[in-house]
Amino acid sequence: MVESKESYFEKEVEKIRNLIYSNQVQLDTIIATRRYINEHYDTDLNLEVLSRELLVSKYHLLRLFKRYYGQTPQQYLSQRRIEKAKEHLRAGMSVTEVCFAVGFKSLGSFSSLFKRKTGASPVEYQKRAISEK
Amino acid sequence: MRVKVTSVPVQDQEVALQFYTQKLGFVKKLDMPLGGGNRWLTVVSPEEQDGPEILLEPAPVHFEPAKVFQKALFDAGIPWTQFYVDNVQAEYDRLTALGVEFSMEPKEMGTVKFAILDDTCGNKIQLVEEL
Repeated sequence: MVESKESYFEKEVEKIRNLIYSNQVQLDTIIATRRYINEHYDTDLNLEVLSRELLVSKYHLLRLFKRYYGQTPQQYLSQRRIEKAKEHLRAGMSVTEVCFAVGFKSLGSFSSLFKRKTGASPVEYQKRAISEK
Repeated sequence: MRVKVTSVPVQDQEVALQFYTQKLGFVKKLDMPLGGGNRWLTVVSPEEQDGPEILLEPAPVHFEPAKVFQKALFDAGIPWTQFYVDNVQAEYDRLTALGVEFSMEPKEMGTVKFAILDDTCGNKIQLVEEL
């Protein structure tokens, strides 16, 4: 009998693949969803729009996204917008310009989300980033 | 409380520095002598030079349990840690051309694609691309 050359880790990966990642149709849908968010984070994006674009019910999309990415589409969208906001702030763009460039509709909601996620206001973040250059 | 440093145990700090900078592309951040030939040696991602530092720690050289643990993970094919990349296939092609050995070629798994390389310092390291 030929002994399997698969390592312990490879065997465990296969177990997880069969248990958690066996539904390729679901995976394709959710990967496409994440890519859509990556490409359209600066637009007026919500579950309604995603559901329409991906041709999947809102609730199914929400459930699947949470299952495979561990967070809701809205949480991922916020994360993406904040990442992009940080890039723009480091590049010297004004806070107001950044706010609208990453898809927020109000300076107040942008600033408060930014502070909640990073611990600093957009202005404080930008000052620190520029002084450290 | 902030995450600023994470350790990777290495069997030789100078070999590790060369591998992590010349092959993987990290940038040296801190290098301070600690006596006995040991260094506080860290590298960072060139894309996040103010981000988390990887401490190349010589624990397996000085502390038997660390050596035993590192070898057990390595023999089981378990990566010590993972680094995120934009394109695993491109990194695989680039690194194999540089002579880096992989124990697992790029493979999709759910929402990621990953590959596993040998860092020549006692560890398997996983490269991950989010799909």
